[in-house]
Amino acid sequence: MTPRGFASPTARTVAAERVSGRLLIAITYVSVVLLLIGVALMVKDGISPLDGGPGLDLASLGATLAALGPAGFLWLGLLVVIAAPICRVIVAGIAYARDADWLMVGISVAILLVIAVGVGSALTVRG
Amino acid sequence: MIVGLLMLGGGAAAGAFGSLLGLGGGVLIVPLLTLGFGLPLREAVGVSLICVIMTSSAAAGVYLERHIANLRLGMTLELFTAIGALVGGSIAFLLDERLLSLLFGVLLLYVAATMARARTAGTAMDTPAADDLDAVAGPAATPTTLERLSGDGYRVRNLGRGVVGATGAGVASALLGIGGGIIKVPLMHLSMGVPLRIATATSNMMIGITAAASAVIYVIRGGIDPYVAGPTAIGVFLGATVASRLAHRVHLRYLRLLFVVVLVYTAIQMLVHGIKGAP
Repeated sequence: MTPRGFASPTARTVAAERVSGRLLIAITYVSVVLLLIGVALMVKDGISPLDGGPGLDLASLGATLAALGPAGFLWLGLLVVIAAPICRVIVAGIAYARDADWLMVGISVAILLVIAVGVGSALTVRG
Repeated sequence: MIVGLLMLGGGAAAGAFGSLLGLGGGVLIVPLLTLGFGLPLREAVGVSLICVIMTSSAAAGVYLERHIANLRLGMTLELFTAIGALVGGSIAFLLDERLLSLLFGVLLLYVAATMARARTAGTAMDTPAADDLDAVAGPAATPTTLERLSGDGYRVRNLGRGVVGATGAGVASALLGIGGGIIKVPLMHLSMGVPLRIATATSNMMIGITAAASAVIYVIRGGIDPYVAGPTAIGVFLGATVASRLAHRVHLRYLRLLFVVVLVYTAIQMLVHGIKGAP
């Protein structure tokens, strides 16, 4: 029972929570598979974790994946891991927009903006 | 090969401990990688953030499906944890590693003290916050912000305190590679009046965005090694998954005691690392 005046989630929001939950679980399993492939390729190539892996290079990621390079699968897996909660915020934001809950839409957009600022500032510092 | 297996096994142990004791495992991964494998602390923090996102996403997915987490409250607070994480992630690259080690040692002692207190106090933390529902059940045509953030049968209070605490939790998460649940759960439960089960689920959901906000900074600035992150993250995921299925068979009292001893020992090692500059 919801006391008067308390927020009662609409059916659409409840459905969005379910979709967000399933999305998070699915993305997590995709990332685990990618990381497992990467680790298996590390073992195959005789690479030790302490050898020092390459940094992320988005421009060559596709080529590394095509060449079955372990770093490619590991980086893709790590990016998928990081993307999971961001996707959850996007899904929730869309659900709130459909419910015309503009406060929550604003909060969703603000969260994404904070992450974008983090990416921008890190890119600026890296040069 | 052996190093990889050890890393995977260590990650599994950290994930299992974290899952059984309601922690993200981040408090164990950083010492594991720095003291156990000699990695620079900042790199260990980056890897830990990845592991924390992974375990949070898996658990939060279940909590959201079952409608246990308070999505509105969680998203409101995670805006501020993300801002804190942005600040923390930026200054983490400016701070001396020895200072970070000292901070981590202090954090571990705090966690150990919290766990020891919970052990002696029994179920004190399980008691729902006293909420006077009658005081809020009056007519309200337009719900206030606090009412909109409240849930079934409880009213959120002290949002200002929650915002400040969430920002602090974000900074701590980015600096030390932890999920910050050790700050967020007591904050929501004791200070904001959220029932413990919902506070735990909501905190778990928030951890993903908090850690992602700083993890992107670590990735771009070269603070994450994929060869270390891969095996460790898989280990943490497997450990947390297996432990969650065995939780009902484990005597948590003894496990908690063992964990306190491990935490105190690790805290001392991290403090020595911070003072002397070597493990």
